[in-house]
Amino acid sequence: MSVGRLRSALDGGDLRRGLAYGLAALVVLAALYGLVFPETMAGDLLRLATSESTLGAALRLAVPIACAAVGGIFAEKAGVINIGLEGLLIISAFTGVFVTDAVGSVFSIPGIWVGFVAGVLASTLLSLLFAVVCIKFRADQIIAGLAVWLIALGLAPFAATVVYGSVNTSSVGTLGTWTIPVLSELPFVGPVLFDASPTVYLMFLVVGGGWYVLNRTSFGRHVRASGENPKALDTAGVDVTRVRYLAITLSGVLSGIGGVGLSLGQVGQFIGNGQTMVNGKGFIAIVAYLFGNYNPLGAFGASVLFAGLDALQLRLQQIPAYAVPSSLVQTIPYVTVIVVLALVGHTRVPSAAGDHYESGED
Amino acid sequence: MSARDRIESGLRRLVAASWAERLGLSFAALVASVLVGGLIVFFSGTAATCQEPAYGVFGLTSCYNPISVYSVLVTGAFGSILSDPFNFNVALTLKETTLLIFTGLSVAVAFRAGLFNIGSQGQLIFGGLASAITVLTAGPLLTGVGGFLLVPLGILAGALGGAFYGAVPGALKAYAGANEVITTIMLNFVAEQVAFFVVSAYFAAPDSQSVETSQIPPAAVLESALFGSGSDFSIVAFVGGLVLVAGLYYLIKYTAFGFDLRTSGLQPEAARFGGVDAKRTIVSSMALSGAFAGIGGAVWVLMVLGRFQTGVPALGFDGITVSILAGNNPLGVVPAALLFGVLKSGSLAVQLSTGVPIQLVGVLRGLIILFVAMPEFFRLLGKRFVTTDREPAVATDGGEQTPTEPPSTGGDAGDSGGER
Repeated sequence: MSVGRLRSALDGGDLRRGLAYGLAALVVLAALYGLVFPETMAGDLLRLATSESTLGAALRLAVPIACAAVGGIFAEKAGVINIGLEGLLIISAFTGVFVTDAVGSVFSIPGIWVGFVAGVLASTLLSLLFAVVCIKFRADQIIAGLAVWLIALGLAPFAATVVYGSVNTSSVGTLGTWTIPVLSELPFVGPVLFDASPTVYLMFLVVGGGWYVLNRTSFGRHVRASGENPKALDTAGVDVTRVRYLAITLSGVLSGIGGVGLSLGQVGQFIGNGQTMVNGKGFIAIVAYLFGNYNPLGAFGASVLFAGLDALQLRLQQIPAYAVPSSLVQTIPYVTVIVVLALVGHTRVPSAAGDHYESGED
Repeated sequence: MSARDRIESGLRRLVAASWAERLGLSFAALVASVLVGGLIVFFSGTAATCQEPAYGVFGLTSCYNPISVYSVLVTGAFGSILSDPFNFNVALTLKETTLLIFTGLSVAVAFRAGLFNIGSQGQLIFGGLASAITVLTAGPLLTGVGGFLLVPLGILAGALGGAFYGAVPGALKAYAGANEVITTIMLNFVAEQVAFFVVSAYFAAPDSQSVETSQIPPAAVLESALFGSGSDFSIVAFVGGLVLVAGLYYLIKYTAFGFDLRTSGLQPEAARFGGVDAKRTIVSSMALSGAFAGIGGAVWVLMVLGRFQTGVPALGFDGITVSILAGNNPLGVVPAALLFGVLKSGSLAVQLSTGVPIQLVGVLRGLIILFVAMPEFFRLLGKRFVTTDREPAVATDGGEQTPTEPPSTGGDAGDSGGER
């Protein structure tokens, strides 16, 4: 109950800031310790965490989380909680690989980019279905979101088994990396930032563009009003339903980029056993934007944090000296998500989020 | 009339008015899912490779014939039930049904309290693991007559393990405001990895390729009576499940705790005014929900596998569909679990004889939830074909369904149904 008291002492914003500073301070302390005593585990961790390959991996792993998170921000800001992001990631990850493999190049566009577009399209269509179910048929948003997740979780392995005889698809190769000439020569940041998968650049575009659209355009204003005070928006002559449809569809497009970014950007195939290769990244994305207080830039920071932990645990498994059981190390990102959620649990949710809005005139 | 009485009578009215509609909705959702599922089967068959197409329509040929898929599914689930009611297929169906009753109850009790427990899967894993470890440890100590204690001990351990693992997200929700949908899903992943670690580090079977414990002592196994040995179905577990169904129904309907649970689910504000300790109710409902899932895990260990093995089937997720199909009513869980048991066992026969992969069940699992979530769809569809001049029906989602908002937004539940 001390948590409750702590929270009543601080309001949400202060707590979030405090948590972020606290985490940063912890990291700095550990880093200092590692610098002073390079022979200790802290030293090893520091070397690992700051190595180019770990940072590069963190950015790659952040792609699905950050893209889905920005998409989720648009939906929730517009007043529809899209808890089905995980399903959108799954369906796009699978479709991207399947179409790359089955269709191949069209009009001399390389097959893998055809697959990329198809994956984004699949996620967009599924999000449109979600929008219709929530808006036209007034379904409970949480249950409809769970349905989107479970449908994708069933459909992708089903289709993979039909086509490939196993829940995993065959391998189609990845999008590779784009090396930006001069900038990639820069020491340290060069290889991390400018010699990366095209999906990483796309993620920067999604995050920056998402922030701009949400905060600097009239569409962004409408989205925010649709979540905070749909009645006022309606009175101002803007069609709330249309804004919500657009926002949910946008969450489908962005999650689609994230999903294909995972399958075609990193792995080159779809893996469908258990929770599929998406493995909860859609739900982590929700926590990322809650932690980032519905700000695309904040959500990006949180995504890199969660993805960084994932990258670190992957590297940690490769060090035999510590013999940390890999199954326990793998829980680190999930446990962190729970802890973060418990500490910033009371976020400032858009006041009309979750509500169905009915315009007076029908 | 006290506030409590008023709430009680309001609830009774809502439930009475809606149960027939709920039944209709579940039925309509099922039919719609079967139809859409058939379309998916047909179109996926156009991409599959086979010797000769099984079905063609409008020039499109498919490797799968949806009609024969469903007929194989039903016959596969029951076998030749008329000549031999205790055949292997029936045992398989009832085995799945039994397991789904536990996870269905687990999800239902949380939903009734207004909580989305998506973590039945993790709670089932924890319960199963606790059960296996308990009987493996207690087995050598309890020999002879004491062996009879092993099964109840294993079930109890499963219930406690699951209850603990359900209480964690409950406490996080009650005291830290952490949304239970996300925490329970995250805890599913954690449970999987922790179980993998615990089994491989401490309880691994000596010469086994997979990560699993040794066989549990024979006295701890729930024997397959009536149905042939090797059917992995124990009528005792099934009857136990039915007893739990009745128990939960009684608990929800006639006890003070059940009243607290229902009102916190339907009208959190009213519950608070009525003197319900909301935080304690959240934790205890989640613990109870986890206990049901944990018992399911124990039954899976004691009846089906005879050991704990990693890579636990998605019984917890199936439980979500069972509960939603049942309108979150414990009594409805039995037919819903049977129906889903038929789907699961029949799909094995489907895979064998038509080549449609068993993952089809996963597709139907999601479709059913989607359709149950939108009563408005069926209402509009009905309006198109039937013109009625009577008043539109009262809230289809009042009373029995889940709140229409995540409790974290602090709104009150059940007010967006179509009540006029």
